[in-house]
Order: sequence, then structure tokens, then C-alpha cells
Amino acid sequence: MRSALAVGLAAAALVAAATPGRADPAAGQAVFEAKECAACHYTEGPAREKTIEDQQAKKGPELWYAGSKFQQPWLEAWLQDPKPIRPLKYTSLTEDNPADHPALGADEAAPVTEFLMSLISDEVEAGVIKPKKKPKGRLVFTKKMPCSGCHQFPTKKPFSGGRTGPSLVGAGERLNPDWIYAYLSKTSVFKPVRMMPNFDGLLSEKDMKAVASYVANFK
Amino acid sequence: MLKLTILAAAVAMFGLPQAVSAAETEQVFTFYCAQCHGLEGKGDGPNVSKDFPVSPRNFTNADEMNKLSDADLKNVILDGGPAVSKSAMMPPWSKTLSEADVDGLIAHLRKLCACEGKKG
Repeated sequence: MRSALAVGLAAAALVAAATPGRADPAAGQAVFEAKECAACHYTEGPAREKTIEDQQAKKGPELWYAGSKFQQPWLEAWLQDPKPIRPLKYTSLTEDNPADHPALGADEAAPVTEFLMSLISDEVEAGVIKPKKKPKGRLVFTKKMPCSGCHQFPTKKPFSGGRTGPSLVGAGERLNPDWIYAYLSKTSVFKPVRMMPNFDGLLSEKDMKAVASYVANFK
Repeated sequence: MLKLTILAAAVAMFGLPQAVSAAETEQVFTFYCAQCHGLEGKGDGPNVSKDFPVSPRNFTNADEMNKLSDADLKNVILDGGPAVSKSAMMPPWSKTLSEADVDGLIAHLRKLCACEGKKG
């Protein structure tokens, strides 16, 4: 029995070793550095932005909590085929997103994803939010608060909404549902200076959870 | 005397509440408000497309802006459109902006409309 277990473990180790980059965030970090990703993205928390100028000086989103924010399969696929998420260029109100994010090869995307998914924030509580298409979340998103004013979201059209926030079309595949709730309820941790209003203290915990569940359901 | 000393110490530590400069207000306006109201305040920000459900206020329209007092402006900025029976597409900024930011914005809006607004 014990030897069977040992064989099994050895086989598992072999499989892991045969898959390049898997479970090796350090290799991914090396690629991240070689590709100069840090010219636009910082990866060490906590949040550095203190003023509007700080935020506007950035060229891309901070990634120090990427592993808490994104879903791994989405991230690995996106790095190989990076399509715009915000319709406008980062922090701009006048220029369209130039869609010029560098694409990584599959051999690079796998380890970089491992690296980014290792960047976890302990401010995100796991298992709190489940994706749900509930009317309450819809009510908060479309009526109680003007989320759709700045964020595109899926409709029959096939989508509607404003252009200054990141699109939420496909948010169900892209974002960790628990992170959506944490982002809403802990503004000062994740984005102390942002174009989106701070809703903490304006929306109840229940409403925030409902809207997080609703967004986490977007196809 | 002791009270004065404590007050002086508090001012030294925390500073007096500072008014926001016109340049800082412009930055606040551009960062938050211009998303819907446009960089020049004409109600034509990048979020406003044909399916945007309302027309954001054009701050350069003196006739419309004269119907609102400064207190109305403060209410709508802090508590959102529904606070003054307007659309919920205008969100509440009370947890985002400081009192000084809001005062600066009201002055900025009055400059854009070149109007004083309803009194009282």
C-alpha cells in the first residue's frame, strides 16, 4: 500500500515536472521581469496611490492582488490573446484603448499566470460570494446605483453601458466573485484612488454581496 | 490658556482645514465628473452614448443651472440624483469626496455656467 502511494506520488511529480512552468511562480516572475511588464504594472502591495496624480501616472493596472482578482484559466488565455477590457485607454477619457498589450506565447503565459496567481491578498475572504442571477443584484446594479453608467455589461444587444470603467462583459469568467465583493467593500485596500465612487457605507453589506453575485454571473 | 495651547498644538499637528485650489478642483472634476459630464462640463462625457438613459447636466446652461441653489448642488453631489428627485445615474460621492472638494466643485460649476444660482 505504502509503495503504491510512493509510486503514485512519483508519477504525479513527473507529470508536474513535464508540464513546463506549472507550479513555478519564480519562473513566471523571471519572464515578467524579462518582458518588462513592471514598466506598467506593479506587483508588490500594499496600494501605492495616494493622490489622483499617482493614479493618473500609472500606465496599467496594479497586479499585486492578481491572484485574488482573476480566474486562472481566463488569465492564461488572455495573456496569449489580450483583448481590451476597458474600452478607453488606461485612465484616459478621450483616447480609445489602443489594444496594444503585448501577447505572450503559451510557453510564457503558463509560468506568468502561475506567478500572477501567486500574488494573493488576505483581504479577500474565500467562499463568500456565489455567482447568482438574482433580481436583487440586478436592481442594485441597474437602478439603485448607476453601475451601468460606466461599465458595459451583457444584455440582449448583446451589451450596454458606459466606457470609462472596465467592461464587465465576461466578468463571470474573468473575476473571482469574492474579489468583486472585497473590491466594493474595501476601497482603501485595493484602489484608494479610483474613478468609481466609494460605496462602502452607502450600500448595505447585503446589497454589496448581491451585486457582487450578479456581476460574477456575467457571461 | 491651556485650551489655546492645545488648539495651537492641534493646528500644528493636523493643520487647518484647507480650501481646495482651483487647479486641484479641476483635477477632481476631470477625474470623477467628466466621465459623464464631459471635460468642459457640457454633459457629453465618454459614457454618454445613445443608450445612456438620461442626459447628464450641461453645466454651461445658465438657465438650467440658475434653477439650482448651491445647497441643491451640494446635495446632489454628496447624495446622488435621487436626493433631489433626479436620476440615480448620478451616484452619491459622499464617501469619495471631501467637504472641501465639494465646495471647490460648486465654485467650478458656477464658473462654468457663469451664473449664481437660486438663492436660499
